[in-house]
Amino acid sequence: MKKWKKLLFNGRVILLTFFLIISVVSLATRGLTFGLDISGGISITVKLEKPVDQQTMEQVRIALDQRLNALGVKDITIEPWGNQFVIVKVANVSEEEADQLVKTIERQGVFYAEFEGVIFATGKDILSVGSVNYDPRQGAWVVPFRISKEAAERFAELAKGKAGYPVDMFLDPPVNSTLVVSKEFYQALTSPEFMMGGDMTLAQRIEKAFNIKIIVYTNQTAKEIAKIAKGSEKVILVDVDGKLAEELKAMGLNVEVRTREKNEPMDDFVRRVLRLYGPYRVGEGLATGQPQTEVMISIGGSQNDIKARNDAQIVAVVLRSGSLPVKLSIERIDYISPKLGENFKRQVLIAGIAALLVVGAIVYLHYRRLKIAIPVMFTSFSEVLIILGIASIIRWNLDLPSIAGIIAAIGTGVDQQIVITDELLGEAMSGKRRIVKRSGVLKRMGRAFFIILASATTTIVAMSFLFKFFVGGLRGFAFTTILGVLIGILVTRPAYGEIAKVLIGEGR
Amino acid sequence: MIKEKLKVLVEMEPRKMIMYPLIVFALALIIILANYVMTGSIVKEGIELRGGSVITLQGINADPDIVAEKIRKETGINVNVEKFTSITGGGGIRVYVPAGNDVNRVREVLKQMFPNVEPQTTVIGPTFGRMVKEQGIKAITYAFIGMAIVVFLFFRVPVPSLTVVFSAFSDMVIAVALMDLFGIELSQATIAALLMLIGYSVDSNILLTTRLLKRKEFTVEEAYYSSLKTGFTMSTTTLGALASLWLFSTAQVIDDIASVLIFGLLADFMNTWILNAGVLRTYIAKREGKK
Repeated sequence: MKKWKKLLFNGRVILLTFFLIISVVSLATRGLTFGLDISGGISITVKLEKPVDQQTMEQVRIALDQRLNALGVKDITIEPWGNQFVIVKVANVSEEEADQLVKTIERQGVFYAEFEGVIFATGKDILSVGSVNYDPRQGAWVVPFRISKEAAERFAELAKGKAGYPVDMFLDPPVNSTLVVSKEFYQALTSPEFMMGGDMTLAQRIEKAFNIKIIVYTNQTAKEIAKIAKGSEKVILVDVDGKLAEELKAMGLNVEVRTREKNEPMDDFVRRVLRLYGPYRVGEGLATGQPQTEVMISIGGSQNDIKARNDAQIVAVVLRSGSLPVKLSIERIDYISPKLGENFKRQVLIAGIAALLVVGAIVYLHYRRLKIAIPVMFTSFSEVLIILGIASIIRWNLDLPSIAGIIAAIGTGVDQQIVITDELLGEAMSGKRRIVKRSGVLKRMGRAFFIILASATTTIVAMSFLFKFFVGGLRGFAFTTILGVLIGILVTRPAYGEIAKVLIGEGR
Repeated sequence: MIKEKLKVLVEMEPRKMIMYPLIVFALALIIILANYVMTGSIVKEGIELRGGSVITLQGINADPDIVAEKIRKETGINVNVEKFTSITGGGGIRVYVPAGNDVNRVREVLKQMFPNVEPQTTVIGPTFGRMVKEQGIKAITYAFIGMAIVVFLFFRVPVPSLTVVFSAFSDMVIAVALMDLFGIELSQATIAALLMLIGYSVDSNILLTTRLLKRKEFTVEEAYYSSLKTGFTMSTTTLGALASLWLFSTAQVIDDIASVLIFGLLADFMNTWILNAGVLRTYIAKREGKK
């Protein structure tokens, strides 16, 4: 009894107890936050065109935040990562919502508003965008927005007396390029649908505004096409099959291919290729020659028309996104359904408990003493509890790699407890009993801790590099491993040493 | 008892002890080299490094060939379908879509085939893959150098320190060769596991070196045998923990980390207790002979 009392008031054991209590309290009150690969959701790794300074990074973050929030999805976190990456995470989204998020991020770049082949406004001219709402008088979904005075004046002059003419908006159109298109595609480009009440076809408008050359493909040779495309930044093959792409590429041209998807309406395909939104009809009120900075785009449809509402929302997003300071590209997408994540959570719990029991059983088999197996298991269990407790306190997102790290930490933890145990047991196991003096025990403990310290240092050094160099992904693994090792050498191992000393060292 | 059998190692001639692990190391190098000649890379690179997409469907039982054929027919995309199982009853298929194809079209087909299954999708751009690879190589190189410095600082004697560093290196080489043999791909997870090996490997080596160099009243053989037993216990518990991880989870990240660590740990057992022990015993014999 006296022995136990002494143990309970030992400084190292008190420290362990203290950490355990804090962990349990935090776990009970704050709970754990899980990573997206467990809780379900989408994580999108976005790369910026070039490294940027902190201020630009913040602008990108805000712009992305605004655009994504416009979709009405909750709980979006946007984390800048270094100076060139941004990670967008959204928990608990459906597949459709996830797709929409990806598309919205992809749909970025430079915004142009064009009328009669003249660009009258770019992203800079969009001063603010109101929220999408339904206007019962017009029978349409509307997106109100405000443009700069200069743009308003340019437009007023251009559109005077031209009510019913089309206004086009583009987001990142294929500027300075040559389009090699099929006949059907060309027909659509010159069709009345895109011309509306105006006097220029869409083909004429884009040629004038963006220097886009259009070639109707009638089996011309690659050479002929290359000749026309001279001076263009790239050649885009639209709905044209054959070996043309390879031949043009072999000639050193920058070639892109766009194919129409199954069941895709032709007009949608045209919009996709040109990155066109609209065209929108110029209303009577805008054709008076008076500059107006408060304008709106309306999309006809009933209040229950979900497609019209979505279209309006996309327009709003497009208008807002004209202000992104750098181009973005999506580098990695991870999507996990919430249901699946639940399954993973159960699996890792089972795996963790199994690992603990297996370790306990093996330790028992080796020493044939519960006196050793139980403290070892208890120590490992407290280690896990404290790692989780700290994760809960700092709200670390536990993802699958983090959990693997915790289990790896149990592995090294047990290793080190065995080192301590064997040092304490001394040579007694080898058959030759020698007299182990009290000072001998201390020396052995010193040696055990030298070994532990050396191996902990190397693990921490190795893992620090992982933590420092990786974009997202496995930082969780590195973090929990380092945390586990630190807790091990500072808290749990010293306490185990004390407990073991009482149970084995002096009790023998 | 297995532990009694370990005595065989104690009685072995130290020079012979050094030979066997070196043969295994050479074999591993040959496997890696052969793999390099055949495929152009020392270890198969997973989709995370090559770029492309993986769609995982959990909880279904389907013939991978039929699924692949159906996707090819409907979309014209050549996908690679793989089946996996776990002892907890879970299982499913993974569909690999090469970079540059439209994942959504493949997903549509899968949705038609398995309407009730919620897929997990990962899409990775090729440039991102290249970056991950570069970062991975950087992390492993730096970690290795960092480890070597720490080991030298702790021991301050060249021969034992070099052996520790070499066995960590050999552990990684053997683990990579086993990855080649078992078809485990290099990914973020396996890179992390290789890094973790550095930590594990040094653990047991430090134990052995400390015990042998700092022993006072015991013979080298006694000290070696007692640390061998400790090391054996250490390895079996860690293997036990990793095996349960591997068995109970169907998450690829966890499976990959667990299997590479298991490979490395097996290699480490040999490299620490046979190779390093052999070198140390020869080294100590020489040193004490000189006195």
